[in-house]
Amino acid sequence: MWAVGAAIPWTVLAAAQVVWLSLDARLPVLHVAAAIATAFGVVLFVFVVPFWRYRVHRWEIGAQAVYTRTGWLTQERRIAPISRVQTVDTQRGPLDRLFGLANVTVTTASSAGAVRIIALDADVADRIAAQLTDIASIGELDAT
Amino acid sequence: MLLVHPVHEVLRQLPLLIGSVVLGYSTGNPMWSVGALVLMVGYGVARWFTTTYRLDADQLQRREGVLQRNVLSLPRNRIRSLSTDARLLHRLLGLTVVRVGTGHEAEGDTEFELDAIRSDELAALRAVLLADAPSTASDEVPVADRVLARWQPTWLRYSPLSFTGLAMIAAAVGIVYQTGAVAAFEDSQLARTGLDAAERFGVLASVALGAVVVVVMSVVLSVARSLVTFGNLVLTRRDDGTGAGVLHLEHGLLRVREHTFDVRRLRGGTLREPLLVRKFGGARLDAVMTGVGGAGEASLLLPPCPRATAEAVLTSLTGPDVVTGELRRHGATAARRRWTRALVFPAALALGLAGLSFVVAVPTWAWVSCGAIVVVAALLAADRTRALGHRVDGGWLVARAGSLDRRRDCIAAAGIIGWTVRQTLFQRRAGVATLVAATAAGVKGYRVLDVPAELAWSVAAAASPWVADNEWARVP
Repeated sequence: MWAVGAAIPWTVLAAAQVVWLSLDARLPVLHVAAAIATAFGVVLFVFVVPFWRYRVHRWEIGAQAVYTRTGWLTQERRIAPISRVQTVDTQRGPLDRLFGLANVTVTTASSAGAVRIIALDADVADRIAAQLTDIASIGELDAT
Repeated sequence: MLLVHPVHEVLRQLPLLIGSVVLGYSTGNPMWSVGALVLMVGYGVARWFTTTYRLDADQLQRREGVLQRNVLSLPRNRIRSLSTDARLLHRLLGLTVVRVGTGHEAEGDTEFELDAIRSDELAALRAVLLADAPSTASDEVPVADRVLARWQPTWLRYSPLSFTGLAMIAAAVGIVYQTGAVAAFEDSQLARTGLDAAERFGVLASVALGAVVVVVMSVVLSVARSLVTFGNLVLTRRDDGTGAGVLHLEHGLLRVREHTFDVRRLRGGTLREPLLVRKFGGARLDAVMTGVGGAGEASLLLPPCPRATAEAVLTSLTGPDVVTGELRRHGATAARRRWTRALVFPAALALGLAGLSFVVAVPTWAWVSCGAIVVVAALLAADRTRALGHRVDGGWLVARAGSLDRRRDCIAAAGIIGWTVRQTLFQRRAGVATLVAATAAGVKGYRVLDVPAELAWSVAAAASPWVADNEWARVP
């Protein structure tokens, strides 16, 4: 999913370069440099970064807290207590639907504390959304 | 009340009014300006007739709008702060504007604002709105008023150290440019005499003179602004004996502003010491509170004032040792990162200059300024290193960082509703991490910069016990 998601913008960029080449064939050095940069970007972002992300990516919903680990160069671990959960959103973009995946965003009262679990299997996502909503609805007070 | 709207409407539309006067003159028909004035006054009066507010058992509701009806209602148990704002005209007429704060960030029309409430009704309204606990409690227990801080004229000595004066001059110059007055001025007699005088004195002298004038003006302006905005500031705490209470802040010489904060929503405070203010022994204090925006004037408790005052107030709001207690240092790695970050740019500059000197002759002043930048960067790095520290103790998380704008955030551990440990590639290699405590209050996320990675989760666990139960949160 990450690989395909990254491949799309790079494909567009490569196509744009082909168009540029066909319209304006002067300065071949510039074209070669741009092509090399694009090729490098494709290799990095389509073949390396997705696997890196996949190796980092973890999530868990325990009895007390929701936990995620995301990122590649900058890695982030985030933990939020279930008792403070305010809303649970499930989103599915076009690519997610193609692969049968879904994203779950668990928000708390702080904008710095939202936990986003991406690329879950759709049925798993539905199940944990239901589970979290149940817990959140019996939560105490206004969770701030 | 009927008077305020039309007058403010006219003041707000002043440019339009001037435009219509100009139009009236140029067309030789004064009816233009009269017509515009009548329209504005009429609109103001119509606003008064169409705005109503009501308060019932569980809702506060405001209806308004001349052409477009607007009904805004909010549940009473969501009201978290109340602030009032009385401009000069309001004060002359004994009126105030009441602003009701709830959790979410509202701006413009969606902000709940009740314009022109009679000042003598205000105390009653405040008591009703802020008492979600049964309001009878305050009748039985004598209300204890305690003054935490009172404005002193000596506080004014910190105001020239901010850039408000410069900002005001810049804004004024901008407005003058916009109106095109400068273009007219450039070929006037006055400008020519000024230029002649400048040539007589020499360029350097006139630039220096201009700079001195700007600095003096900015000092005068910022002192005046600070005096007008914060004069008469009084911060009081009113306890009703049950542990709940309110903080009451009142300030302003001409335009009186009052803020009332519910202490139960208080999650801590931030002591802010911008470099210059710190050098003169000052600090400003911001409240960290649910339902009050963290930045800007909304959360301000004390403007730049002597450090001891700010610390005393914050201590009385938090606990002993939270504000002045010794902090735990972040170690050599964090210090090294401060130094690298500060010196990378000057080093690159020096290398660039060195490279350039092989090709062309580099003037001496370039080397001198490069050296000056290195020295400044080194001082900055040393100061930033000295600032870094954190402390978890007695239910409070304290984090301090920064040099140009040093801040000491004191957050109640009970108010922390999430933790993030972030590591960039360089931080992973250096074995440090940035810890972000998420709260619903203030600026939402409070950072503890460059904690040693193995300590990060134990800091979080010490502050919030639920972190300790999670096995994921132990792995470094």
